[in-house]
Amino acid sequence: MRTRPAARAAQYVAVICYLIFLGFPLLWLISSSLKSPREFASITPSILPKHPDLSNYTDALREQGLVHSMWNSLQISVASTVLVLIVSLPVAYALARFRSRLRPITNGWILVSQVFPVILIVIPLFMILRPLHLTNTIPGVVIVYMVWSMPFALWMLQGYVAAVPRELEEAASVDGASRVRTIVSIVMPLLRPGLIATAMFTFISAWNEFFFALVLLQDPQLKTLPLVLARFVGAEGQVQFGPLAAASVLATVPSLVFFAFLQRRLTSGLLSGAVKG
Amino acid sequence: MKKLVISLLAASALVTLAACGGSDSGSGDSGSTEKVTLKFQSLAFQKTTVAATKKIVADWNAANPNIQVEYVQGSWDSVHDQLVTQFQGSTAPDVIQDESADITGFANQGYLADLSQYLSQETKDAVSQGVWDTVTVDGKVVAAPTLLQSYVVFGNSALLKAAGVATTGDSLSWDDLQANAKKLTSAGKYGLGWGLKSPTATVLNLGMNFDGAFFEGSGRDAKAKIGDAELEVPKRIHAMAYTDKSIDPTSLTQSGSDVLPGFFGGKYAMIVGGNYAAQQIVEQAPKGFQWEVLPPLKGTSEKQAANPQTLSVPAEGKHVKQAAQFIDYFMKADNLATVGQGDWLIPTTKAARDAIEKATGGKNGWTQTLASGEELTKAPFQSVENYPKWKDQIATPALQEFLANKIDLAGLGKKLSDGWGQVNS
Repeated sequence: MRTRPAARAAQYVAVICYLIFLGFPLLWLISSSLKSPREFASITPSILPKHPDLSNYTDALREQGLVHSMWNSLQISVASTVLVLIVSLPVAYALARFRSRLRPITNGWILVSQVFPVILIVIPLFMILRPLHLTNTIPGVVIVYMVWSMPFALWMLQGYVAAVPRELEEAASVDGASRVRTIVSIVMPLLRPGLIATAMFTFISAWNEFFFALVLLQDPQLKTLPLVLARFVGAEGQVQFGPLAAASVLATVPSLVFFAFLQRRLTSGLLSGAVKG
Repeated sequence: MKKLVISLLAASALVTLAACGGSDSGSGDSGSTEKVTLKFQSLAFQKTTVAATKKIVADWNAANPNIQVEYVQGSWDSVHDQLVTQFQGSTAPDVIQDESADITGFANQGYLADLSQYLSQETKDAVSQGVWDTVTVDGKVVAAPTLLQSYVVFGNSALLKAAGVATTGDSLSWDDLQANAKKLTSAGKYGLGWGLKSPTATVLNLGMNFDGAFFEGSGRDAKAKIGDAELEVPKRIHAMAYTDKSIDPTSLTQSGSDVLPGFFGGKYAMIVGGNYAAQQIVEQAPKGFQWEVLPPLKGTSEKQAANPQTLSVPAEGKHVKQAAQFIDYFMKADNLATVGQGDWLIPTTKAARDAIEKATGGKNGWTQTLASGEELTKAPFQSVENYPKWKDQIATPALQEFLANKIDLAGLGKKLSDGWGQVNS
């Protein structure tokens, strides 16, 4: 059945409106990053800057060590993501495949662990990490982020593992494959979309995390990006809007690149899963 | 699988290596010949103040090779949460910047060193007793007060002049403020815009103009005291917003900086805010915009609460004496004047205030701003342990309701009073 031209036009308009709706915050952020302080204080704010310039970017880059903090965040986020995946995958597999009385208890605990406020656990965590000399170190923060992200990562991966038909594993077993071989050769490729979705979640959690980093990292050379962004906010609600907007634009670039890279694989993973399933 | 095992081993090695690394340095309070390095967590925000603070550190380091200070940038937004954990873990920086209202809680828990034996007589004499009181806990001086802020009235000079509003004199009475606001209100424009989204600090600070105490006693034994004096400021603001209609009621729901565009655009002839807003006015006002700071507000007095920025030292610090020596140096008039001028805040010492007056020629409202700092003193609420809880859970929502005209003055008084019983039980 062919779509009428009017209906098609309406569809395009709806999609464009939706894209504008989704993209507006980013557009506003980029526009703000190019505005002067005087334009910020205008009683009739404009969407586009009247006299765009890059001084906010130079201020942001020059004053706060933005690039170095981005590098710190990148190291921490990538390390946390890789380690969470490595540890979560076998656990998620075990939880999804092996029936046990412990399973509902474990799942319940995973959900309960998500309701603890950060402030409640940060002091005990700090007291544990300090004698181990893991405060004020990147490995210390990576471990904390692993622990923080793991329950939800487990929850996500468990669902993906459960969605892989058992029959495939049984067939592999009949063909003589060991369980390890079955997991590596059969289950892992089908889990790729799940692994990528979990990686995205873990990466973005670590990339944006503020409070643990604030408490654990004191050395100026170890500060992460969210900590540096916070410096653009002063006492009594004073904010350096221009440099903050510029720094925020720069801060989104690595995560956008990461997402663009992984999203392609997420799609191909989904397709390959569909064919094999 | 092999790769998985290798990765896990690598992760374990990483953790083990980290566990082996790092070490504590120094022990005890070092002698003067031992070379020590102090971490100074500064919350300087404006570019000029960051530069001024770094210069103070550099000058100190050049003159004191055995006591080197390392500048660490912190943030006002997160300093409390950071310090809570750092004190618990004994990893707080050697020199801490914060505000007196925040450090009082830490001092009560014994986390801050008594600096009185280390600060020079010159520093002690330079600051008024009312301001020292804000950093004195159980007789111990737990910090050095550096900079203060006050609430001032900013005016659009052209509109004030056109309406014939006088802006001279030593002080501006609340009656005059109301009369001026009324005179300046016409044709959809308001005499006053007042960003009171978070009204408690403003109301309690300015409440001292009318001797509003809000609390009697100190610590957990403090009792709420809400009478006519305490309700005078909210009553006057409410009257201007809903009887005179000389305050834009929508401005009452905005933050202090939200009202600036309206001020620049002529929607409000005057605004009330922290004196530091002058920095934003200078940076953001349209070219040719003429503004001024009016004389300090006066009720029965010009008193306002002093909540100075402070420098303190952890009680468990390894180099308390050296850290205090650096603080004493930071308190020198020239140093305080540069950071005060950079942040548009009022130095706690007379000599530094004089230095700013001289450097600025009193322009951009500095004369009135510095004058408004003369009568800043400790307020009763600064000695009350559960004040932060009362402020967030009781006072702020109650004042917001009152300023939104949803409850009357008696209702506000009851909520403020009864609420103290709830949070302090």
